[in-house]
Amino acid sequence: MARFDPRGKANRALLVGVPDYDFTRPEHPFGVAGDLPAVAHNLTGLERALRAGGVFAEDTITVTRPRTVDEFDQHLDAAVDAAEGLLLLYFSGHGAVPSTGDELWMLMRRATIVPGTESVFRGAVPWKSVLTVLSRARAERVVVILDCCYAGNASAAWDALGTAQRQRTSLLMSVQANNRIDAGDGDGPTPFTAQLVRLLRDGEAGFGELADRLRAHMSAHHTTLREPPEPWEPQSRSATSGADVLLAAPPVRPTGGRTAQPPPVLFSEPYGAGGRRPPPRSARARGRLRALARRPGGRRGLVPLTGRRRLAAAIGVPVVIAGLVATGLAVFDGGDGAPCTPPLELRLLTDPDLEPTLRKAAEAYLTSKANRTADGCRRSGITVYSAGAAATVAAFSRQSDPWQRPTGDDNNPQRDIGPQPDIWIPASFASVDRARLTSPERTYVTLEADPEPFAYSPVVLAVPQELAAEPAADRVGSLAALTEAIRKREARAEVRRTDPENTDAGLLATIGLYGGGTGGQDPASAERAVAQTGPPSRTGAELLCTLPDDDALDDRTTALVPEFLLKTGVGCDSATRTGRMAEYPVDVPGLSPTFVRVRWRGADRDEDARDHAVEGFRTWLTGKEGKTVSASVPSGGLAVFGQDGFRGGSGGHRPLGGGDFGALTDPGLLPGPALPTSMTEALKRYREAEGPGRVLFLLDSSGSMGGLWEGPGGAPGIIAQSLAGLGGQDEYGVWGVAGEPGSPRPYGEVLPFGKHKREEAQRAIPASAQVKDMEADPYQTLVAALEYMAQRGTDDHRPQLIVYLTDDEDNNRLAEGGRLNDLLAAARGRRTPVVMASLDSGGCDKGRPDAAVSEASGGRCLDTKGDLVARLRDEVARTGTGDEG
Amino acid sequence: MRHGPGRVGLRASAGLLALLLAAGCDAGASDGPGDGRQTAAGAAEIAGEIVLASGRDVTGKGGIRQQLIAEWNRQQEAKGSTSRARLVELPGSADQQRSQLLGALQSGSAEYDVVNLDVTWVPEFAAAGLVQQLPDRLVDSDVITSVAGTARWKDELYSVPFNSDVGLLFYRRDYLASAGVTKTDLGKDTGWPVLRQLIGALDTAGKKLPGPYAKGWTSQLDASYEGLTVNGIEAFASAADGFALTDEDGRYAGSVADLQAGLDELRNRTQAAYTLPDAVHSDEADTLTDFANGRTGFLRHWPYAYRTLHQSLSDQQLGVAPLPGKAVLGGQNLAVARGSQRSAAARQLVEFLTGKESERCLLDAGFAATRLSAYEDNGLTCNAAKPAGQATAGPAGERTDRMPRDSSGRPAYARGTLLPALENAVQRPRTPLYGAFSQTFTAQLARLQGDAPPSDAELAGDLDAELRRALPSR
Repeated sequence: MARFDPRGKANRALLVGVPDYDFTRPEHPFGVAGDLPAVAHNLTGLERALRAGGVFAEDTITVTRPRTVDEFDQHLDAAVDAAEGLLLLYFSGHGAVPSTGDELWMLMRRATIVPGTESVFRGAVPWKSVLTVLSRARAERVVVILDCCYAGNASAAWDALGTAQRQRTSLLMSVQANNRIDAGDGDGPTPFTAQLVRLLRDGEAGFGELADRLRAHMSAHHTTLREPPEPWEPQSRSATSGADVLLAAPPVRPTGGRTAQPPPVLFSEPYGAGGRRPPPRSARARGRLRALARRPGGRRGLVPLTGRRRLAAAIGVPVVIAGLVATGLAVFDGGDGAPCTPPLELRLLTDPDLEPTLRKAAEAYLTSKANRTADGCRRSGITVYSAGAAATVAAFSRQSDPWQRPTGDDNNPQRDIGPQPDIWIPASFASVDRARLTSPERTYVTLEADPEPFAYSPVVLAVPQELAAEPAADRVGSLAALTEAIRKREARAEVRRTDPENTDAGLLATIGLYGGGTGGQDPASAERAVAQTGPPSRTGAELLCTLPDDDALDDRTTALVPEFLLKTGVGCDSATRTGRMAEYPVDVPGLSPTFVRVRWRGADRDEDARDHAVEGFRTWLTGKEGKTVSASVPSGGLAVFGQDGFRGGSGGHRPLGGGDFGALTDPGLLPGPALPTSMTEALKRYREAEGPGRVLFLLDSSGSMGGLWEGPGGAPGIIAQSLAGLGGQDEYGVWGVAGEPGSPRPYGEVLPFGKHKREEAQRAIPASAQVKDMEADPYQTLVAALEYMAQRGTDDHRPQLIVYLTDDEDNNRLAEGGRLNDLLAAARGRRTPVVMASLDSGGCDKGRPDAAVSEASGGRCLDTKGDLVARLRDEVARTGTGDEG
Repeated sequence: MRHGPGRVGLRASAGLLALLLAAGCDAGASDGPGDGRQTAAGAAEIAGEIVLASGRDVTGKGGIRQQLIAEWNRQQEAKGSTSRARLVELPGSADQQRSQLLGALQSGSAEYDVVNLDVTWVPEFAAAGLVQQLPDRLVDSDVITSVAGTARWKDELYSVPFNSDVGLLFYRRDYLASAGVTKTDLGKDTGWPVLRQLIGALDTAGKKLPGPYAKGWTSQLDASYEGLTVNGIEAFASAADGFALTDEDGRYAGSVADLQAGLDELRNRTQAAYTLPDAVHSDEADTLTDFANGRTGFLRHWPYAYRTLHQSLSDQQLGVAPLPGKAVLGGQNLAVARGSQRSAAARQLVEFLTGKESERCLLDAGFAATRLSAYEDNGLTCNAAKPAGQATAGPAGERTDRMPRDSSGRPAYARGTLLPALENAVQRPRTPLYGAFSQTFTAQLARLQGDAPPSDAELAGDLDAELRRALPSR
């Protein structure tokens, strides 16, 4: 790059510094925050460095500490008039911006701040006027260096300069706009100028390189006085001529070159004892810097905040706020026009059954007054999401490490469970204990649960009206007795519950079904009592929504679901669906949603603000002090839960809202939350009910899959990820599906069928699966797979599953010559469900072959309209015995 | 396993390393030409993997990103550098991606060096100080001007466009031919009035069209997600030249008159006579299926539909044109996390992933590339990766890719249709409070879909008032 070399020209350097102020608070309410002794060191150090730099002769450097604006103007005029080559202007002192604008003002010794709706600075120089004066200069190049708070606010006026001025004027600003900075402790120069001087002494220094190196250094080693602190990033505007400017060219030191040299120590080390510097932005350093910034009477900022309300709202440094109160400046305006900073984001993970209600609650909270800061901005944003309940518990207890730091494609809870939550609301109080790990040194997450649940909903039998018991007394009893009574009224009556892996409600229902303890039922026969064609529904709402698809089924089927769903889960087919009444099994534990604050190790960048935001939502959601409110008119989040049919979390579990929706207001003593051990035991027995599972994966490897092959989202990666729910006792294998047309065996083995170590299988599949330049024959392959699995399952009842992962490109071959019907008949005849996993967004649309095949076999059809990978993993997990523990 | 003390130890030693480097932190400043910022920063960096966080993608396009990262790693190894990059997948849901990226960067709950941001998130992440300013040269004049506009916030560069996206008009040439339309190739000058005439011709042809045909066009008008915002902005921006709902600072800058004109345009476009009734419940996947099944003659969709639709429709059946009026830009930009301890290497990775060759690879794989050279420079080829479907089929095999390509291997429509569409596209309002904007905007527009829709004047007044409440105003 071309460089302007001013050596030998008529250059001028004007170094302006204001170390002492005549009016300081608290003595003078309109004064500045304090003196800046470091500025005196700045002037000495910089003058020496410039003298040694060889660009400015001794008599061309002017150092001044102006008392008034007039004094400053005189010096500036003189320098502007005299400079022909390079004109350098340096300012260090208090900088400020008015409450209603962005312009930077430079405060001279006698400066005062006059409060009002628009604060006014007396004895201060507006930066804009400085630029105007500089534009008169004859100098070939102008360089300005500002070391003060809000220095970055100077860039706007530079940007507004005419082309000619921008071509010759370079501007270096000590900090990004709207930030205050540390002035050091006064024993040495300010941190920015200290580094500036080091670099000027260090060798030939051009403006561009200087700016880059300052920025790199400051942002790596210092933070601004914002709360929470942010990296301190000097800004620059290089003259648009494209040529750099040489600022210093000191004589080269004799040895080694600068890379081997420690930086020369020009000043006493500003970081106190032992010359130690804080390591770059480690958690500890952040904490220490924050502590320093907070310490009253500690380091002083280069300037007080001057009633700039949006900043005050955003950063709230206690020392500064105190100063503002003293001067009576308006910090918070609350009127519109003050831009809000983006709110703090809270991640809220919950149980799939609770997700709709919590979404409603979060939406209500976000726009509520409770979520407003004093200046009318939102305090926090909340994103509500859910994940399978059993997988969530496992992820907290055993996968907090990869959840915080995923290292492989196959075990990544950030992707498979979701964001690392700040708040977790499990549907059962007991799940908190299940999610805690016994050895805390192996966990990267801490769960802080409220002492009791904030809401409650019993798991009930939602009985078709025609089959329900009439007298209220007959609607309460043991699960076995109640179901027996229903079967007496209708011999073909069925009972269904949801997937115990996916929701706590499904698992609580399972506790009731198995009868608990040693005297309970054998899980396999209990499972047969709720068996159904096709996979179980994933949530209670889905179950209640699926039943009306078949009127006869709707009329005879009782759903074992949380009571609140009788209110919120009956929206689909509302005109034709069968009405249902709640019956209350006393031996099925109830839902007990509980507020849990989740903390991640090392996540302390905004700890206080995050705590504050979480606490704000907790108070609103659960009622004050963590106690649930049993008052007749709940407010905040409890009102939302009341509208959705929930009961109070404690006391007599009275309904939080009103309305007749088939529930009993007071069914007598309601069962409490489950014991953690009962849930863990029930899940284990469920997984082992039918013994280890068998899964045959069919991986479409035809040419068209080439585009869907690579990476963790590619087809082999998807299959590898879906093995997560398979344990060492389960048997599985993978066939690659592609072959010459008419070939009798249109598939090849990718992973032999049998027991595997999961990690090895996860590595082996992507390694050995290959796309072939051939077609797939889904018909032949599925027929062969159904036959293969039928032979495996002849002498036991172990769960089996076939998974066909495909892009549907060869689906036309399924229907060739009417053989689709043959395939559907074969699928119905075998007892192996087939999951058709289509990498086409419409693969499961009505009438598509994938939908037909999966339905006929009793399997599920998945396509990319939903989260195919997660759902496939769940389907496979239901077949296997799953993760140990 | 990396559990327990092992990891604590790693962190501690990393801190020690940083301390040692800090003492000589300017040491490396002269070892790299032309970019003092990178080398100066690099000297104080901690060695280790660069983590790039991005949403899960199973559409087949995701593989190209993985391949480009692998190529970068190969190049680092060849250079003797210890830097390696690793992709961490986030959930497929955009809401969850945004939540995790925001929450993690704000709190430090996870460490990311590079984050892949939807273009509408850039102002929020920049204003919150979660991503670093980047050197201007990373977005040079080769980046399509409109696309480059997504990368900045308040004049500073915070992100680099990785892949773009833009609304396009897909249509059935065979339907138009059956309806007696003589020119079945829609140029980029086709406006909505012409489109409505063509739909009229299709409706008149009636029985000559295949059975599934139901209505003229479909689009993503479901008010429960971003689709209605996109379609709304496209209508609004088409109604008034230079239309903008926010100024450069993200403050509300709309007027009731502009809003009323926009609502009028949206209402015209979506009136029942032309629009598939299912559109108000449809997202991208639904509309793609309806169009692929022949239920409409026209479809507003994104570039990836070009590849998907060509799997089932031939070149004679399927046409694509820039969307009449203004189309909205989508896409993702890469940004370097503020807290990254590997900023310099992270910037180099971003530079590689968004460079000319990478963009060409992304284009070939079905993404809308962000650089002019990817579309225009025939000398530029993708050697860094094997984009999806580029494999040549064996003699007996099936074609791996039915997407038509030009003689240089790009998707056939890239230069003549996609590039002009991108160049003419507009951004959604740029504000750090985009989520609140979108929520407010769709909630009001959804009233048009109700049983008793308000008049344009009434709705414009309400929309204006609500947007003033949601966003700071001038």
